Amino acid sequence: MKKIYFSIIALAIAAVTGCKKWSTEHTDVYTYTPPAASPVSDKAPLSCSGSGSTVVSVKGTMLSGKTYTVEDGCDLVINATDTLLMQPGVTLKMGANTSLIALGTLVSNGSKDFPNYIGPATTVTKSDAPGSVSPSADPAYSGKWKGIIGGPTCNLMVLRWTHVEFAGGTEGAATSKIAGSGAGNQYSILFANYNGSYIMEDSWLYGGVDDPIRISAGKVAFFRNTFEKNGAVGGDCINVKGGTVGTMAYNLFIGTATNGQKASNKGQATGAPQTNIVMYNNTFISGGYRQTQSGRGGCINYEEGAKGMYYNNVAVNCKFGYRVVGNPVADVANMFYGNNFQYGDSVAVTNQFYPVGYITQPQTTDIPSITSTSKYLPSGYVLGQIYDGTDVVGKNNPQFLNFTLPVPAGISMSAYSAVGTFNFRLKASSPLIGKGKTDFQPLIVVPKDPIYGLSDATPPGADLGCYQLSGIGNQH
Amino acid sequence: MESSTLNLIKTGAFLLAFVCLGLVAGAQSIIKGKVTDAGTGEPLTGATVHIDGKTTVNAPVNLNGSYTFKNLPAGTYKLTVKFIGYKASKEYAVEAVTGKTEVFNIALVENSTGLNEVTITEQAGKESDRAVRSLEKNALMVENILSANTIQLLPDVTVGNALQRVSGVTIQRSSNGEGRYAIIRGMDQRYNNTLVNGIKIPSPDDKFRFVPMDVFPSEMLEHLEVIKALTPSMEGDAIGGTMNLVMKSAPDHFVVSANASSGFSSLFSKGRLFTAFQGSPNTQSPAMVHGNSYAATYADFNNKALTSDQSLNNPLSSTAGLTIGDRFLDRKLGVIVSASYQNVYRGSNSTQLTPNAQPTATAAASNVPQFSDAYTRSYSTQTQRLGIHNKIDYSFNKNNKISLYNLYIHTNEYQARQTADTLGLGLNSTLYNKQVTISNRSTLTQQNIYNSTLQGDHQLADKIKFNWSAVYSYANRHQPDRTDFAYDANQTLNSSGAIVSELDNNTKLSHHWENNKDQDVTGYANFIFAPKILNHDVEISLGGLLRHKDRDADYITYSLIGGNKSTVYTNNFNSIPFVFNLASDGVGANNPDLQDNYTVKEDDNAEYLQLKFNPVAKLQVLGGVRVENTLQKYTTQSPVTVSQRAGTSAYTDVLPSLHLKYEISGAQSIRASYFASLSRPGYGEIVPYKVSGEYYDEEGNPYLHHITADNFDLRYELFPGGADQLLLGAFLKKIHNPIEYFVVRDGGPSNQVIKPQNDDGDATNYGFEAQATKFFGVIGFSVNYTYTHSSITTDKLLYFSDPVKGLQQTYVSQTRPLQGQADNVGNASVLFKSGKLGLDMQLAFVYTGERLAQVSPYYNLDFYQHAYSQLDFSFEKMIGKKLSFFGKVNNITNAAAKLYLKYPNAQLSTQLLEFIGKQDIAAQTLVQTDYYKTSFLGGLRYKF
Repeated sequence: MKKIYFSIIALAIAAVTGCKKWSTEHTDVYTYTPPAASPVSDKAPLSCSGSGSTVVSVKGTMLSGKTYTVEDGCDLVINATDTLLMQPGVTLKMGANTSLIALGTLVSNGSKDFPNYIGPATTVTKSDAPGSVSPSADPAYSGKWKGIIGGPTCNLMVLRWTHVEFAGGTEGAATSKIAGSGAGNQYSILFANYNGSYIMEDSWLYGGVDDPIRISAGKVAFFRNTFEKNGAVGGDCINVKGGTVGTMAYNLFIGTATNGQKASNKGQATGAPQTNIVMYNNTFISGGYRQTQSGRGGCINYEEGAKGMYYNNVAVNCKFGYRVVGNPVADVANMFYGNNFQYGDSVAVTNQFYPVGYITQPQTTDIPSITSTSKYLPSGYVLGQIYDGTDVVGKNNPQFLNFTLPVPAGISMSAYSAVGTFNFRLKASSPLIGKGKTDFQPLIVVPKDPIYGLSDATPPGADLGCYQLSGIGNQH
Repeated sequence: MESSTLNLIKTGAFLLAFVCLGLVAGAQSIIKGKVTDAGTGEPLTGATVHIDGKTTVNAPVNLNGSYTFKNLPAGTYKLTVKFIGYKASKEYAVEAVTGKTEVFNIALVENSTGLNEVTITEQAGKESDRAVRSLEKNALMVENILSANTIQLLPDVTVGNALQRVSGVTIQRSSNGEGRYAIIRGMDQRYNNTLVNGIKIPSPDDKFRFVPMDVFPSEMLEHLEVIKALTPSMEGDAIGGTMNLVMKSAPDHFVVSANASSGFSSLFSKGRLFTAFQGSPNTQSPAMVHGNSYAATYADFNNKALTSDQSLNNPLSSTAGLTIGDRFLDRKLGVIVSASYQNVYRGSNSTQLTPNAQPTATAAASNVPQFSDAYTRSYSTQTQRLGIHNKIDYSFNKNNKISLYNLYIHTNEYQARQTADTLGLGLNSTLYNKQVTISNRSTLTQQNIYNSTLQGDHQLADKIKFNWSAVYSYANRHQPDRTDFAYDANQTLNSSGAIVSELDNNTKLSHHWENNKDQDVTGYANFIFAPKILNHDVEISLGGLLRHKDRDADYITYSLIGGNKSTVYTNNFNSIPFVFNLASDGVGANNPDLQDNYTVKEDDNAEYLQLKFNPVAKLQVLGGVRVENTLQKYTTQSPVTVSQRAGTSAYTDVLPSLHLKYEISGAQSIRASYFASLSRPGYGEIVPYKVSGEYYDEEGNPYLHHITADNFDLRYELFPGGADQLLLGAFLKKIHNPIEYFVVRDGGPSNQVIKPQNDDGDATNYGFEAQATKFFGVIGFSVNYTYTHSSITTDKLLYFSDPVKGLQQTYVSQTRPLQGQADNVGNASVLFKSGKLGLDMQLAFVYTGERLAQVSPYYNLDFYQHAYSQLDFSFEKMIGKKLSFFGKVNNITNAAAKLYLKYPNAQLSTQLLEFIGKQDIAAQTLVQTDYYKTSFLGGLRYKF
């Protein structure tokens, strides 16, 4: 009898809990969306031929689900007083030698379910398996189109849930004159207005030639993006110059040519603010190996009058560690950093955790601990001096969900340049968990708005790197 | 004519003293006197005085213009004087009387039928008004002249270097120490123009109008004039001054002269070798050969300019010259051909700290300079100059003459620049880790100037003259395949400093071509009417010119990278897999340099009216007005989407001038003058070119206005006789719309570029000049000194630390001198000239005070060149009657050119201090030193 009661109770509990699970509620309330004004036609390619110039002016709205193509050799220009809004799910195919020049406002408003795509018109096959193709043969570094240029009058550029791929072709004289930029530029994205805002959220940047993103000056917010294969033989993935202020957080970088994030106050314009960048919870994998110049960095870099802070970052097998430059010197009096993690498979990597010749100040909150052994770091360590990193090789495996460390034999550390099937989320046993500093604020100077601004400024997270056990942070 | 040649020595206090020195006691019969240029009053050193009577003797004319025949048997002699470039004097009958000294002065008339405007008016004046003869020892305006004989004896073989001997002139040197541009009274080359025989010549420079003066071999000159005040008949585009190169003209009898010499620079010995290379076989870029759409690859390039490098120990420089001239057809036809060839090896060793373009700032100090690079550079420059000119003149009759003049100048400059590894000095290196940079550049620059002038000179009526010139000229310049290689590597060192490994180089190679050309077609016409009005001689000149110019320039640079970082450079280019960063970078149409290509057409015309008269006997008034009209059109290769791709500007300038000359006594006079003048912007400056810089790009400015100026001059002159002179002068210039390069905003708030701009404020420039020459028999002293003060106020950047906002940048205005201007400039020379010994010697000293060498966009960070002085020596010794041996020694003391930043040097690190060497001024930082060492030249000259 007792068994029956138990069974009934068990069944009842199961039924109650189970039925709760099964019950659903669905509401479908009509909301009215006014039709987009000035929709851009997708009937024919956006063409400049016949106009006698390379310019195709564009404004209005690119509609969800539609594909737009820009004819080879044309510059798609948003004039200074115009706005181009790309609704979620827009594909913009850029022909050879084309550019997208924003002299006014550009908003690519993709969504998680309907991301936008801006890339080459032709289908380019990605070769993402590590070591499957040499960098010189990899189309990621060949600049299939020129890129997106925010000119000196561009007041707002938003890339949200947007893929930007295979850009970085040389601007050339005509394009650069229209955009007010430089003929030799090979940037995938350029922004150059310290009164304007550049916002990049939950987006992907794949490939690139020189600096994939160059901010000559601007108010910036980079949140939760993924960067792959950025820069051919040089170039810092996000390279900001004098007059740039903002935050870079929860970004994932894999296989950048040089640094992932670099801040400099070089060329600060009269009237522009000092470069001030807050960087936190970013993850850098195998950065710095395609840079052919000596000692240029592989993850984070501050130099020449730049100030700011960097906390909670993760650098794995990067050629150089977090770098603060002494000549031309960063604004070290106004720089704060700590709680940063590094991992290295080889002594060549661990020997540069504190890059030799530079002035990064080791912090007691750094991982590995600077008092790990008598060699790491030696007593009386002087900034930039050579030291023996043998003792910390392979220490503190970050325990990513799907990424083997040490990297398997036969493939060099430098060959990892795309995410593919890897997963850099953390196992519950990861030493990165709970080591983060959370008692500071992002530096938000851009407008906050679900469409025409930054939609979500994720605050600093408790776990190091761009993925949090709680699920916040990078959503890719 | 006759009375003028028999002009007796004017007696004055100075002269008396002078003559006394020359007096010889004793009961001999002596014939002596002076031989001078009838036009300028200059002594004609080197002329030959011939007497024929009871004995036949020749006597040379000394440095001070005097000749002497001693111990002549009493009797009547026929005396004639001959000199190259001058009409032989007529035959004079002179009596030699025992115990007496007969003084007999002769003035020779130039044989030149050269019709430059200057000499025309001069000659007209000369002929029309016998009364002002003595006043016209010099020209109508303020000018300084170096005669052929002075030039021949100078230690200099180019006009560029010879110019530094002229009062008020400093030179700007090229990287091998050779004078290239003249700065006249503190006004840099932009403000000056260059004439050949009074005809303006085009420039082979790719951007500007000014002509590099080091292309002209100095021996081709008959004389060199630096004209500091313009008359209405002269082209009005000179604010500092006009340099007129008057070339040798046909002699009145058969003349052959030849010279050859050889020499060396002491720089290229003892381990410092000269780097010679052969020019690239690719005289044209892939885009020029295959078209702009052609995608070049590494296989299209040839690195011969670098791989053919070879080291020469003490290469010998050589020069040669030949002049042949004669007169035919009853002296109606004169012909002269002159050629000069120079092959000169020069160079410099340069040590340089490069300040970071953007300074830093602390709470305590703004604009603190930082240094980004340290270089040791060695320059090896081989310059080949070929100059040929010829002049043919023909007199149809007394009233009608024509002449044809041709000039061709060609230079090849092979310059190898080698930059040694210096980053290892610690800018970004440590004891165990060293950054290495090596860079080599080979540049061949070819320049050509051609000028052909057909002139006619006609006496239309008793009082009316007409002359005309038809001129075709071109200048071009080519840099075929300038090849630049840079290598950057990281070396790991062990504890004893030995290299353990070398890795990770950044290897770059660039091939660059540039070509530019300036073609000039000009016609000049002048009427001179010389009536007598109210019993005064009046000369009215009316004339003008029409000019059409075609200018173009093209550039292309192919930049390759050393692709594979594992390749260590071991002096072998073939092992480096050079590639384009992007294959599309090899396409000509994508080349960023294309935007700098331009074509300019310019049409100028000018008209003038000039009046010269003497209201009272002692006062000469010359004045008038000139109108210059300029129409410029430029086009570029930019597409229609590019603003400023083409532009036109037209302007008219009305330029009045007034020149007064008051004769205090026969030997003394005072001049006062005013003239208005202009300076046109460079052809390249008005084109919207864009050159990428590390911090700021540099851009052209199509909205540039031309510069105008009001110029005032006052001068006291004393010509006591012979070559002696005392000149004291003062000048004031007010310069409107001066063009300066500074940082401006461009486009949006963030973009800043360096751009030529017209400054809002006027610049002022004033100063005074003194020149004195005095001879004591065979020894002469010549001194000149110029004080100049100029000022201009421009906006500069100030980088400072704000307690709240952090690092900030703002504009502040700064007043400074004009670029290139030195407050104190002087020359001093000692001359020895003995006809008896057949020996001439000269020791020449040049002093250039501190001057602003380079303007920084940042406040207080301008580069100043420290005071520079140089000592040179030259001599010429006759061997027999027709042959002479000559020698020139330059830079005897191995003076260094030094650049300073006016910032205390205490901020330099020990390593940098060790690198740059002794910091000798506490309040300044030495940032660059260039050494050229001493150079020698010796040879033979033959005159028939």
